[in-house]
Amino acid sequence: MVLNRLNDLKNIVAGGPRKKLVLAAAQDQHSLGAVLKAWKESIVDPILVGDTESIQNICISNNYDITGLRIIHEPDLLKSVEMSVRMVNSKQADVLMKGMVGTSALLKCVLNKEWGLRTGNLLSHFALFEVATYHKVIAVTDVAMNIAPNLKDKIAIVNNSVSCLLRLGYIMPKVAVLGAVEMVNENMEATLHAALLSKMNQRDQIKNCIIDGPLAFDNAVSLESARHKGIKSEVAGDTDLLLMPDIEVGNVLYKSLVFFAKAKVASIILGALAPIVLTSRSDSEQAKFDSILLAAAACK
Amino acid sequence: MVEKVLSVKRKYRVAVAWAQDPYTIGAIHRTVSEGFTDATLIGRSSEIINTCRSEEIDENLFQIVEADDDSIASSMAVGMVKNGQADIVMKGLVGTDIFLKSVMDRENGLMLPGAVLSYVGAIQIPAYHKLLFITDPAVIPYPNLDQKVSMVSYAVDMAHRFGIPKPKVALIAASEKRGKHFSSSADYSTLVEKAEKGEIKDCIIDGPLDLFLACDKSSVEIKGIKTPVNGEADILMFPSLESCNPFYKALMLFARGELAGIIRGTEKPVVVMSRSESSVSKYYCIGLACLMV
Repeated sequence: MVLNRLNDLKNIVAGGPRKKLVLAAAQDQHSLGAVLKAWKESIVDPILVGDTESIQNICISNNYDITGLRIIHEPDLLKSVEMSVRMVNSKQADVLMKGMVGTSALLKCVLNKEWGLRTGNLLSHFALFEVATYHKVIAVTDVAMNIAPNLKDKIAIVNNSVSCLLRLGYIMPKVAVLGAVEMVNENMEATLHAALLSKMNQRDQIKNCIIDGPLAFDNAVSLESARHKGIKSEVAGDTDLLLMPDIEVGNVLYKSLVFFAKAKVASIILGALAPIVLTSRSDSEQAKFDSILLAAAACK
Repeated sequence: MVEKVLSVKRKYRVAVAWAQDPYTIGAIHRTVSEGFTDATLIGRSSEIINTCRSEEIDENLFQIVEADDDSIASSMAVGMVKNGQADIVMKGLVGTDIFLKSVMDRENGLMLPGAVLSYVGAIQIPAYHKLLFITDPAVIPYPNLDQKVSMVSYAVDMAHRFGIPKPKVALIAASEKRGKHFSSSADYSTLVEKAEKGEIKDCIIDGPLDLFLACDKSSVEIKGIKTPVNGEADILMFPSLESCNPFYKALMLFARGELAGIIRGTEKPVVVMSRSESSVSKYYCIGLACLMV
């Protein structure tokens, strides 16, 4: 199965028990709005951890109805994050989401050795894009977390993303390793990584997916381009997952898809005990909602 | 863009290397029939003629020159510009590396002495209110400071030819924060300083900026960042080919963008398009090259 639209995630969520999402430092209008919308649509059962009075004030001034919602009062920002992380660690919650707190503070708690969410895997960012002119959603990694991943990191990033796609119902997702060119060029490390990843996949060192690269962007997503260049590849033109060389490439691509191609996007952090929703203020309300939806669908 | 070319009212002579490709022939045919170019197609003449016929194009509109090897075709096309028989050289179905080898040949090539060879593109995107010039999506993998200075000046020159007297140049990175992780941070600071000292003229430069701060006014307002580019960039300068190449390809495939671009650092314009680029994009490229002759 593949996802054609982000909305298809709703079918996955509807099939199972409702997931519990804990919102750390919940006194944040931007994330609260999306969480409450997801609650109303029965996508998650939220638990709000934070300053009760501020949360209530935000809800009153935005006409949010939170009757019946569980709120845990913890006015201290860092303590509210710790408490939220501990709830996921002890299986009282399935998804962690960041509220009114910095990303680095949240990740510090996630990586805590005693009560954090470490699994031994690298944390990586995973984004699903819905672009009008592509025939299905396309996953892109890593556009926000790992700055300049080495080969070992890229293996971990692919494994994180492939396990997530399998949980979403994919079978043998097609992974394109992005390069500026489709030839291996000894002066471009990304193309060397791409060749190695492809070979490791052939030898079953990276499983459950079909990897090919380097592929330039056009060959990865357009069969016509690949054919015109005479590239023979099972992945070309039908990519499910696009692996970025580094954050500079990923960030530009992410932003160009959102801004110029008007793509819808959902994104989460993988590699921890549970999916983590880390949206930023500049994300649209829709993107935040879709990210919660993705996290709920990607739960084990 | 094409209107600007037509207003010049002269014909430009284009030499096409390894021309037996329907997209290339389609594009060149359009420029010939609109009356602003004369074309010489170099390659396997039987294949060129067959391609013309299957595209229902009259092969007699072109001068066809036989060559049975892609690198010979490239050096013949470059040679025509070198000895004044053509104004513009264009790549057909030959690989970029082979083609550029001819362009960069010390004796018979087209390089200006000491110049940096780089690519400047002009991209038209429905979601942006004006043309966006980008550099470098095709030639320099990881530009150093000197190469970046040349890249900016080439892009600024192109913007001037489009009638933009003081283009806004955004130096693109993953974030507006300088950081040791980002290889271009130091070069970007130097470029901004050079512009302040007047060493880089006739443009406004700022960076590092992320794509939103470069092209989206509302992001600039939300983030509360002061930048002279102010979400209205004319030129995006990328830290690497790796980031610029997927950027323009994503815009062409997913945002209905059209790109035209040429090589700079040469005596005459050199048209190098990805072999898979559409006829329309190749057509704009030829128009752009005419404008830059």
